[in-house]
Amino acid sequence: MKGKYVILSLVGLVLGYMIAFSYQLTRENEPDTISNSQWERDIELRNELIAQEENNRELQQELADKQEKLLEMEAELSEQEQGFFNLAEDSEKYRIFLGKVKVKGKGVTVTLADGQYDPKEENINNYLVHEHHVFNVINELYVSGATAVAINGQRLTHNSYIVCNGPVIEVDGNPHPAPFVITAIGDPEVLSAAINITGGVKDMLVNENIEFKLEENQQILLDPILGS
Amino acid sequence: MWLPVLGLVIGILLGLMSNFSIPDEYSNYLSIAVLAALDTLFGGIRAHLQNIYDEKVFVSGFFFNIILAASLAFLGVHLGVDLYLAAVFAFGVRLFQNIAVIRRILIAKNSTK
Repeated sequence: MKGKYVILSLVGLVLGYMIAFSYQLTRENEPDTISNSQWERDIELRNELIAQEENNRELQQELADKQEKLLEMEAELSEQEQGFFNLAEDSEKYRIFLGKVKVKGKGVTVTLADGQYDPKEENINNYLVHEHHVFNVINELYVSGATAVAINGQRLTHNSYIVCNGPVIEVDGNPHPAPFVITAIGDPEVLSAAINITGGVKDMLVNENIEFKLEENQQILLDPILGS
Repeated sequence: MWLPVLGLVIGILLGLMSNFSIPDEYSNYLSIAVLAALDTLFGGIRAHLQNIYDEKVFVSGFFFNIILAASLAFLGVHLGVDLYLAAVFAFGVRLFQNIAVIRRILIAKNSTK
């Protein structure tokens, strides 16, 4: 009777072992096989991913477009700034020409004085400074690029006038006696070269017995025109 | 009396704890073997209830059926014919028949009491 149980337990052992082993084997293999619902979920996730990627691409495209627009705007802005800068420079220049602001800079000073009294000379006009001498000097200076010119400290503007009034000359109605100090702001080298050119203004003035003096200045300060 | 049950439990534990794995294509043989074992087991229970139980027949049938089913599946794989289906069919039908017979005998026993 006992032997029967032993044999039966052996049968049970083998059966249990096989069932358990088979069960375990199936369970291990299960993750490899994908069930229907898992497939569905997989596809769902995949679709979601694709949609997400498409969305990303669209957004990136949008970003690129926006950046391009930004670049354009920046370029435009810099152009505008350049324009403003130029405008500011221009207005500064025009203010200088108009005499609205104080001007400071390098320049030259031309002094014209009446010649020494010469008893041999009959006509006193031959050694006096006339307004056309002053004109010559001023025109030469303007032509040579002077930005601001003043006579005895009075700034000249675009509508200044100079007239001869007996022993003095009037600049915008203000009488100025000799000697005339003409200050001009500009490149000193260019201005002095233009004045000193052979056969130019200086030679003419010296020929007409006028005391002529030219100085180059590193710092000239011209006050704005008052009441203009 | 509890010795066969203890053997079954020990077998299940051993099977669950054994960690070595066999290739995928051999798992079919194991399933067939399990089916054969179950079939023989129920056949034995039926024979016992019908009082025609023979231990030698049962034990030899148990192991012989397992080996035969596995080798049949093996042969089928090598011949390119799904012979394990024949084993599954045969053992399945017999399993159902055995269980049906056991059920009837038990019902008959219960109703006579």
